[in-house]
This record gives sequence, structure tokens and C-alpha cells, in this order.
Amino acid sequence: MKKSIIWVCAIGILFIPLIWIKWTPYLVLTTAGLAFGMFLFMVASGMTIIFGLMDILNLAHGALFAIGAYLGGYQILNLLNTLGWVENGTAGQSMVSLLLAISMGAVGGALVGFILERLILRRVYGDHLKQIMITIGVLYVITELIKILWKPTAEPVLVPLSLQGSYDVFDVIIGKFRLVAIIVGVAMFAGIQLVLNRTKLGLIIRAGVENREMVQVAGYNIGRIFTVVFMAGAALAGIGGTMWCIFQQQVTPEIGLDNLIFALIVVIIGGMGSVTGSFLGAIIVGLSFNYAAFLWPKLALGINILIMATILLIRPRGLMGKE
Amino acid sequence: MTPVQKERWQEQKSIYKRPSSIIQVALVLGLILIPLVPSFRVMDMAVKIMIFSVVVASYDLILGFTGLLSFAHAMFFGVGAYSVALLCYHSGSPHWVHLVLAMIVALAMSVILALILAFFSLRTKAIFFAMLSLALADFFHILGRSWRALTLGEDGVTFTLPGFLNVQGQGWSFLGVNLSPRVLTYYLILLISVTLFILLLRFVKSPVGRVLQAIRDNEQRSTALGFKTFPHQIYSLVFGSSISSMGGFMFALWLRYVDPESVLGVFSMVDYLLMVIIGGLGTMYGSIIGAAFFITVQTWLPDLLRGIAANFPGYEIIQRMADRWMAYFGVMFIVVIMVFPKGIVGTAQKIIRQRLLDAVK
Repeated sequence: MKKSIIWVCAIGILFIPLIWIKWTPYLVLTTAGLAFGMFLFMVASGMTIIFGLMDILNLAHGALFAIGAYLGGYQILNLLNTLGWVENGTAGQSMVSLLLAISMGAVGGALVGFILERLILRRVYGDHLKQIMITIGVLYVITELIKILWKPTAEPVLVPLSLQGSYDVFDVIIGKFRLVAIIVGVAMFAGIQLVLNRTKLGLIIRAGVENREMVQVAGYNIGRIFTVVFMAGAALAGIGGTMWCIFQQQVTPEIGLDNLIFALIVVIIGGMGSVTGSFLGAIIVGLSFNYAAFLWPKLALGINILIMATILLIRPRGLMGKE
Repeated sequence: MTPVQKERWQEQKSIYKRPSSIIQVALVLGLILIPLVPSFRVMDMAVKIMIFSVVVASYDLILGFTGLLSFAHAMFFGVGAYSVALLCYHSGSPHWVHLVLAMIVALAMSVILALILAFFSLRTKAIFFAMLSLALADFFHILGRSWRALTLGEDGVTFTLPGFLNVQGQGWSFLGVNLSPRVLTYYLILLISVTLFILLLRFVKSPVGRVLQAIRDNEQRSTALGFKTFPHQIYSLVFGSSISSMGGFMFALWLRYVDPESVLGVFSMVDYLLMVIIGGLGTMYGSIIGAAFFITVQTWLPDLLRGIAANFPGYEIIQRMADRWMAYFGVMFIVVIMVFPKGIVGTAQKIIRQRLLDAVK
């Protein structure tokens, strides 16, 4: 009951900017905001799952995001471009190169996540202070490593040919890649919900969120499940990084920190550990950022902090956070 | 004189005979004599060590004594530095009034920001505090980078200082010794930082400081004894943050230049954390050792790495690895947290306590 009220309120607030904005730019901004929200969701979802099950606030998530961007978005697309698939390939080749980039981003994120979990995080379970300090250290080191392996400056990222440009539906201009982002984001949300609610792994994860010891008593190796979940979260971050850098058409080593802050805001707004909450939070942040940037460009930076403060005043544990 | 008073007097007197107080006096004397060394680099290092000792000690108050992990400490530092820079820059010809005003603005801003941060985040979980302070700190970092009309953006602000602090000025002649403005600034910073450090020590040893440690060690028990957690955490946060902004104030006095990356950057929190953990959490004096270690390494490590890289002219990857010396700090940070969490002073204290216990046995 309470959750449905939240949904109704959220949809109602969606139409408030219409007071100042005309219909056509409003729709353009809404699609842009939705796409932006999906990018944020891709980062925040992994973070919130990891926090929910493992009780780890993983600030290194930004680093996994950056690795996805550099490996998937930058490296693979450059490689495929030498085959002539990316900048001037057919529609099929564009799709395949996007898929390859995304899967490379996911694999890269998952691999680094695996090393991170096994090597470092495993030793600091249960100690929040140490976890936060170590993960921000990891973010710092990986940012520097990226500067060593690639370049410390911003680099252009290629966009597959058939994803460039935009559709024009009754004067409403919709970027093709934004549409792809929305589709990927919604598919990811549906996929996560499906895995959590319909599979055995999801059942174990949900049980682990409720009570970790009881899952162990039932005979499941919680350490292995932790590794799998951490890798899955890292892969989600990697996909987010790949998509984000194609959207921005450039990568910088600071990409990780910049998006970590957005992801933190989304996770706080949505409620720590709730995937639906972070989906909702991501859409709120994405939309409000776009509307604010259109109406008052100077205020756009502060609007997210403002929204976060308001929501925390009303619901101190976030929209869908557990009491 | 009553016996109790006599006892207290005796105790007061014995404080000055302890080895630790001799070290303190020697340290201050050494810092007073530093300007005699004819190397600017040494003086620059000494100033940075003093400033960061104070900043890290105030961070130790928040992290080590209160148990709150704040990512906004660099932000408060930046608020202090920017308040000096902006007031002196925008006033055209700065006067002493502007410096006093800058100090008041810095303190007021940091108190208000700390209160806002505390009211929004401390009521729920400690983990929220870390996340919210990170978000707020990044907001100020972006503000410093993008509000070009006020902060001049990423170029940073170069400004002149009034009176004897102005480097183009004459300085003072005193008993035939000419003190340059640099040296006078050095002594001013020495005076302020020693005062602030003593203030911090007093705060930790005050009743409020004792309660803070009690809350950190066992919150349930101290609330049962009637101490309220929330106000005490606020005292500590507000006090520590104000001291940090004064650190930024001194930093701006010394460099006469601020830019968003060096004073507001979120990653400089990793430096602070490294300093406080190497020194030892919850020890106060550890911050001096941590800052001294960090600043010394930071000054000499780039040269050392460049020297090593010069021996391998053919390999580009080694040149790049030598350029990114900050990465080694990051690795060191992770290793220190994992294997050496008590820090230098913490470990030393543990050994001394063990020896005392053995002696009693």
C-alpha cells in the first residue's frame, strides 16, 4: 500500500516541470533524462545489491565502472574500428560491435571484481570503517593505473555508425543511442528482478540479505555466493561504464569518481540494498538533472543534493529502505 | 595549602619532567630554528608538516576519537583556503581587515556546513555519514571548478597578502637581523598551528573528549550512563571541521595560490587518511609523525622515481609509472590499513604498555 503511494507521487511529480517547459522540449528532456537515469541505474544497481547481501559499501565501484569504460568502450571499439566495423560498418556490424564492447566491459569488470573480492575485501568483512577506507584507496589506485596504462587526458570514444544520429518523431528529437540505453537499462532491471525472484541463486541471495547465518546453516557456501554476487555487481558496473563512455563519446580517468557520486546519491535516495528503489532513484535523479539543466543551468549541480536532502528528511532510510 | 592542593601542584610539576614534554619543547625549538637553514625547500616542507599535523590531528579527533568517517574534511580545508583567497583577490588591495574577515567567514561556513551535514546524516547509520559527506564534498569540488565568476575555475586564484605577509614587501629589521616576509609568514603559521594543536589536545582531554571516547568504545553503555550521543558527535564534528578550515587558512597564507584540485579535491582525503593511519588512530601525536612522513616522502619520491626511470630510457611504461607517483601512495595506503592498522604511535604505545605490565608482574 505504502509503496504504491510512493509510485503515484513519483509519477505526479514527473509532470510538474510542464508548468515551465513546453511539450516538445519536455518530451526531449524526458527521454534524455530517462536515458541518463538508466546509466545511473547500471552503476547503482550493482552497488545496492552488494550492499544488501554483503553489507559492504563498495566505493571501488567507480573504478569498476571506469575499467568497463576503458576496456569495453575505448579499447574494443578502437580495435573493431581497424576492421572497419564501427565508424563505417553495416547495421549488423554496429550491433555486434556494441554487443562485443558491452560483454568485454562486463567481463573486465567481473574479473577485476573477482580479484578485488578475493584479495582485499575478503579480509575486511564486518568492519565498515576499514571497508570504506580500503575501497576508496582501490578507486584511487585504479584511477592512477588507468593513467599509466592508457592516457591521463580525455580520449575520444567511437560510436557505431547505425547508433549515431537521432529519430524525429513529431518534432521530438530522440537520440538513437539514448533509446538503446533505455532498452538496455530496462532489460537489466527486468533481468535482475527475474534472477532475484525466479532462480535458486536469487532465492539464496534474498535469504542471505535477511539472515546470513541461516543460509550457512542450510548448507550453502556463503563465501562463494559473495564472490559470485560481487562479480555480478562488478559486471553491471562494467556494462554501465561501457554504455556511458559511448554516450559521452569520451573517456577520462576521473570517470569513476564522477559517477560514483551520482551512484551514491541514487543508492541513498532509493534506500540501501533495494534494487527497485535504486531504479526509481536513478530515474528521479536523471530526470530532475535534465529538467534543472534546461531551466536553471547553474542549479543543476545542486538539485541532486537538494532532492537527496528532501527525501532523507521525509524518509531517513531512503524511498524503499527497510525500517 | 591543603594536602589536596599540594598533591595537585606536585602532579602539575611532574608533567614538565616527563620525556614527552621534553620532546615537545625540543620539537617547537627545532621548528623555530628551521628558517636558519638556507634552503627554501626545507622551510616549505616544515610549513606543510605543521599545517597538515594540525589538519590531520583534527581529522583524528573526528575519526579516531569519535569514530566518524568523514570525507568532507578536505572540503572544510578548502573552505578555509578559499575564503582567504577570494576575499584577498576580489578586494583588489587586501588589508588586515580582510584576513580577519576571512577567518570569521571560514569558521562560520565550516560550523554551518558541519551542522547541516550532522543533522542530515548522523541520525541514521554511521555509513550514511560517510556517503553524505562524500556527496557534499564532491558538490563543493564541482562548485569550485565550475563557478568561474567567483572562483576563477580550474585556473585557481593567485592573490597578494597585506602587510608583512606580502612577499614583495620589505619585511622587518629586528636587532640587525632582517626577517623576510617569508620567514615572518613562517613564524605566524608556527604560532597558529601550535596554538591549534594545543587546543585540540585540550579538547581531547576535556570531559567532552572523554565522553567521545566512551561513546566510540561502547555506545550503549555510555548512553545508559546518561550521555547523549548525537550532541557529542556534533561537538566533535564542528570543532574538528573548524580546525581543518583554519588549516586551509594557513595553507593559503603560505602558498598565496589556491586551486580546486589541491584544496577541494575528494582524492586528497586519501592523503589525510594515509597520514592519520600511519601515525596511529586516536593518538593525536601520531598525526605529527604521519604528516612528517607523508610530506617528506611526497617531496622526495618524485625525484627518486625520476632518477630510477632515467636509468631505463628505452621503456615508455617505466617513464609513465615514474610519473604517477601518487599510485604508490594508494598502494601503501591499502597495505597499511590491512597489515598495520594501529600506526606508528599506536604500536609504540602498545609496546610501552606491555613493558609496564611486565614490570608490574
